[in-house]
Amino acid sequence: MTLVRMTQNMLSRQSYSGMQSAMNRVAKAQEQLTTGRLINRPSDDPTGATTAMRIRSSLASQQQFVRNADDAVGWLNQTDGTLSTMGDQITRARDIALQGANTGAMGQQARDALATEIDQIRDGLIGSANAQYLDRPIFGGITAGAKAYDPTTGLLADPPAIGTGTGVVRTVAEGARVRIDVEGPDVFGTAPSVFQRLAALSTALKTNDATGISAAVDGLKGDADRIANVRADVGARTVRVENARSVANDATLTLTNALSEVENVDLAKATVELGLQEVAYQAALGATAKVLQPSLLDFLR
Amino acid sequence: MAGAFSSINTALSALRYQQAALDIASTNIANASTDGYVRRRVVGETVGAAAAPAVWSRSNEIGSGVQSAGVERLVDPLLDTRVRREHARQTYLDLKAAAMGRVETGIAEPSTNGVAKAVDTFQKSLDDLNNAPGSDAARSQVLANASIVSDAFNIQAHNIQDETGDQRARVLATVQEINDVATQLASTNLTISTSSGGGSDTATLMDTRDQLALRLAELAGATATVRPDGGMDVLLNGKPLVTGKDAATLEITSGVNPDGTGDGSPVTFQLQPTTGAAVAVTAPEGDLAASVELIDVVLPGYAAGLNDLVKKFADDFNAAHVLGFDANGNAGGTFFTYTAADPAGTIKVAVTSPSAVAVSAVGGAPNRDTGNAAVLADSITIQDGYQRLVNGFGSAVASVERLSDNQRAMSTQVDAAREQLTGVSIDEETVNMVMAQRSYEAAARVMTTVDQILDTLINRTGMVGR
Repeated sequence: MTLVRMTQNMLSRQSYSGMQSAMNRVAKAQEQLTTGRLINRPSDDPTGATTAMRIRSSLASQQQFVRNADDAVGWLNQTDGTLSTMGDQITRARDIALQGANTGAMGQQARDALATEIDQIRDGLIGSANAQYLDRPIFGGITAGAKAYDPTTGLLADPPAIGTGTGVVRTVAEGARVRIDVEGPDVFGTAPSVFQRLAALSTALKTNDATGISAAVDGLKGDADRIANVRADVGARTVRVENARSVANDATLTLTNALSEVENVDLAKATVELGLQEVAYQAALGATAKVLQPSLLDFLR
Repeated sequence: MAGAFSSINTALSALRYQQAALDIASTNIANASTDGYVRRRVVGETVGAAAAPAVWSRSNEIGSGVQSAGVERLVDPLLDTRVRREHARQTYLDLKAAAMGRVETGIAEPSTNGVAKAVDTFQKSLDDLNNAPGSDAARSQVLANASIVSDAFNIQAHNIQDETGDQRARVLATVQEINDVATQLASTNLTISTSSGGGSDTATLMDTRDQLALRLAELAGATATVRPDGGMDVLLNGKPLVTGKDAATLEITSGVNPDGTGDGSPVTFQLQPTTGAAVAVTAPEGDLAASVELIDVVLPGYAAGLNDLVKKFADDFNAAHVLGFDANGNAGGTFFTYTAADPAGTIKVAVTSPSAVAVSAVGGAPNRDTGNAAVLADSITIQDGYQRLVNGFGSAVASVERLSDNQRAMSTQVDAAREQLTGVSIDEETVNMVMAQRSYEAAARVMTTVDQILDTLINRTGMVGR
């Protein structure tokens, strides 16, 4: 600025605008420090603001994936535990059937006792088949009821709920929907289901029906194998869901860091910046105080 | 050879002239901080020989003193034109930046309570419902989060409507002020032309005239030219607003009703001269241009973008919702409702009962299928569009703020240039004052000296040898 003529007004106006802009910079630095954020409105950094919004959105879905996976793992673990006890009980039932098949060495009274134990195992199995996770029967498909199997008849409590719809599904990653439930008939078989087979075994023991008993022995072998297979499948799904959960957890961490990098203030830098702007403001104040005071009148007699 | 009393007259002229110089210095100092005051300077000229010498009227004077040739007002009309232009741009950009900044603050992005966050949370609550379809709490959460989304859209729409309303009120006030200022300028023009004809000093009137013209430039980007009689003609985008003593009236022809409501059409103006037909006119710069652009282009642009998003969001979600079945096995109904004229301002959740959220894909009887939950969650695809919208608006705000800052540097510079010419420097006036004082003293001394000479001549002549 090459000025030929300076006036008091120009000086005071310049001082004022200088102080104002210094004050504005102090306010900007202060805003960043007090909010802890670099971007307080889209115009501060339009690209950064979009990135921040995008990251926030991804972060929200990753966090939800973790929640979904947590829920899925809970469900799958419950299924696995239930299947494990059931496998043991079916093995026990088969042992009893084999004992009962020794028709020559055993009297009817002993077989009746075996039949009673089979009945108890059957009740226990039906109880396990009605196991719930968060108030939902885990083998009941999409039933709205509290039970998958009727405790007295051993039949499906809500047949239309089986095999319809998508079953119980959890989204554990973008586009990855994992089915986490196993439907009753897939575990316990149909016509005859394991419950019907046990009922038949009990009857056969009571009536000393050797053919019936040996048919049950063979059938129970198949049932135990099927449950073992389902357990393996549930285990595989658990691994898949747990992998997805750890990926989502990692992503949450990475995205949080990324968001912080885009959006958050580097405290040390911002503090130094505020200090600098404060010094600049004080300098502007000092210069104004010096410049505005003297005039020629101070030096004339 | 001049007469004996000539020198006394010369000294007298000097006394008068220095008196005037002192007066001017005193006026300048008095008005040092008056808005729009232009410093004056008294112009001295030597009283010399007759301009047209003739044989019998020749002058042999060697000096006849000084006289004031008039009071000069130190302005540069070209610089004033420049000042008006830069100020018109400055007010235009400042107003635009301030209004857009307000809307931007209302958008509240990126943050934890804007539309983006609400949509994310809504989508998450659908996932939670997928995890627990039998839970009334999860269903209620979906409804509550849907309301948060629609509220967030409503708030943004209302912010834009409020800002548009404010700008309409501002157009009314600005037009009123333009007409007031134009009338004042016209009457100032009349006074200037009559006073200058009468030989009076018009400097103060000229200060007023320049200030009024500057105000018109700030209000509407009007341009001004000085008339031969000292008045000022003002054109609004080439159409006469003030011509001499006549001021045309600026009228709103469409866009804003007198009560401040909008009539749906773009804002247009006309100038109604005192005689003759009205001509259509637009404001090129200044407050008025900024308000009109905000009302006609900027705010409706953002509102249209937002409305498109809301429409898409509601339509997509409704389409997905009717495919599903609610907790009782009934087909899903309309989830969001809105009126076609103002989707963002009127969107609301139509479903009231938590059990009516249709996440099941299997109808007929109550069940806990969640086949439709994913369809619902996937139907929400406005995030990208919304980010683009906010990014676009943020960029526009950043750009207009940058322009406004640059323009401020420019207008500060021309203001400084004008101040450099027209501003009062106290030091300079003090120097002038001291100079005038000394000259006055010297002229008085000349008088004493001439008096002594005359005394010698009159009282001592012929006294030799007495």
